[in-house]
Amino acid sequence: MAQQRALPQSKETLLQSYNKRLKDDVKSIMDNFTEIIKTAKIEDETQVSRATQGEQDHYEMHVRAANIVRAGESLMKLVSDLKQFLILNDFPSVNEAIDQRNQQLRALQEECDRKLIALRDEISIDLYELEEEYYSSSSSLCEANDLPLCEAYWRLDLDTDSADGLSAPVLASPEPSAGPLQAAAPAHSHAGGPGPTEHA
Amino acid sequence: MATYSLANERLRALEDIEREIGAILQNAGTVILELSKEKTNERLLDRQAAAFTASVQHVEAELSAQIRYLTQVATGQPHEGSSYSSRKDCQMALKRVDYARLKLSDVARTCEQLLEN
Repeated sequence: MAQQRALPQSKETLLQSYNKRLKDDVKSIMDNFTEIIKTAKIEDETQVSRATQGEQDHYEMHVRAANIVRAGESLMKLVSDLKQFLILNDFPSVNEAIDQRNQQLRALQEECDRKLIALRDEISIDLYELEEEYYSSSSSLCEANDLPLCEAYWRLDLDTDSADGLSAPVLASPEPSAGPLQAAAPAHSHAGGPGPTEHA
Repeated sequence: MATYSLANERLRALEDIEREIGAILQNAGTVILELSKEKTNERLLDRQAAAFTASVQHVEAELSAQIRYLTQVATGQPHEGSSYSSRKDCQMALKRVDYARLKLSDVARTCEQLLEN
């Protein structure tokens, strides 16, 4: 960075307080530990009786050990606060995290759309066969004027007046079975009709 | 932070520091326990005490470095970036897939019915 940005007062104060807490806690751990080690030394001459001195040392060690644990706990809290501050205010890593997430989601979306397009291309072939089968079978309930897709295109080929509002598709091949789906799907190699087409 | 798979080195470093603080307290306890025995193992005592001191200094240095980095990087402004738009697009793509699956199951069911008839 070229120059240090002036942080707002609250952030500056907060970071200074973190420093102070760190120094205090580390100092507390070290001092209490060294004092425990010193107290463990057995003196030959004592001001009070040995039993009393022993009790006093015992109590002092308890208190100092509790202080060490308290300082350790306070350090853990400091680390937790630092983590929180980092997540909220460390802009470089937040930007990186957002970019990564965007990339993941976009990749997933593209994968879904790619698979849907492939599915559409496969299904269009099968649907054509199904329609033929359905409309030529006895279970068809359609009216006489309601032509199936294949019939409509065949009629259109023979008689342009019976187009009946259907748009004229581009019929490059004389075979009626190859016509209809060619216009709908993008360039695909099912030109030979439903029979010889293979699913990949 | 565990919900996202973020490779955030600083957060991992802070987690290591947390583990090290636990190790500091463990070492201190071991040293005092060793001192309380009648026959103290001096080598273990020295090793644990050295490990304790080294850990404390390491933790202090690491935390100071993190605080220094935050002083340089933090601004007063909240971060207003979000991944909402790409999340919405992805959600719509998944909805499209679900819809296609629903329609395909309808077609399959219709075909089975016609075959049975």
